[in-house]
Amino acid sequence: MSNLAEQIREALSMFARNGTEPALIGGLAVVAHQVVRATKDVDFLVAAESADQVHDALLDLGYRCLYRSEDAANYVRAAEGLDLLYAHRPLARRLLAQASERETPMGRMRIISVEGLIGFKLQGFVNDATRTRDLDDIRALLKIHRASLDMIELREYFALFNKPELLNELLG
Amino acid sequence: MNFSDNTDTHVETGLSRADASAVLVREAGVPFQPSLGNASGIDPIAEWLSLMEVVQMLCPVWLVRDTPMRGKHWKL
Repeated sequence: MSNLAEQIREALSMFARNGTEPALIGGLAVVAHQVVRATKDVDFLVAAESADQVHDALLDLGYRCLYRSEDAANYVRAAEGLDLLYAHRPLARRLLAQASERETPMGRMRIISVEGLIGFKLQGFVNDATRTRDLDDIRALLKIHRASLDMIELREYFALFNKPELLNELLG
Repeated sequence: MNFSDNTDTHVETGLSRADASAVLVREAGVPFQPSLGNASGIDPIAEWLSLMEVVQMLCPVWLVRDTPMRGKHWKL
């Protein structure tokens, strides 16, 4: 198993030991939703109530906390990174609760819905407009899943970030 | 002399841009992506692990984040 796969397996074990049920988000969730691209982004959505417990557990695993707020945290360990988003608003809580379980080579993990993933990618882009990869990911996800997407839910996310026209643009 | 243009090549290989359900991701994507998911029996995460094995051979060191996430628009 590669170092990257081992890092993810270790993180999943840590979450399980702590009774936390995260959902995979970010680049690896994009992969899980059939857009296979190179990424070493390890990002999880976790319940805000678990933030302290997960923080301590990650420090025990040798990670260093680079940043932590009520919304997100970044951890690094040598050449490995791990990012967390905290679900404390109703939308993120719902997305976390509705994440679907999947068996993977690294173990069983919960993966956020395509719609939710697009919502988080949009949030990432709105927060940092240099993250054009987020737009590429959204475009690719829309292309693959267009027929089955909940467009009402998607339009709500784009409206939330005052970007309703961007969805039409990305849909082409 | 019998020359083949691109169209003929596509016919021979079966890789037609019009027919392929291709997704081109600008950075490090695969231009002709096979059908993935339950229907095809191909696990995208297993495919990603295979891809990353090669990527890490070619580029063993990736820069890790050294600055925190940016942004003030946390609405989800």
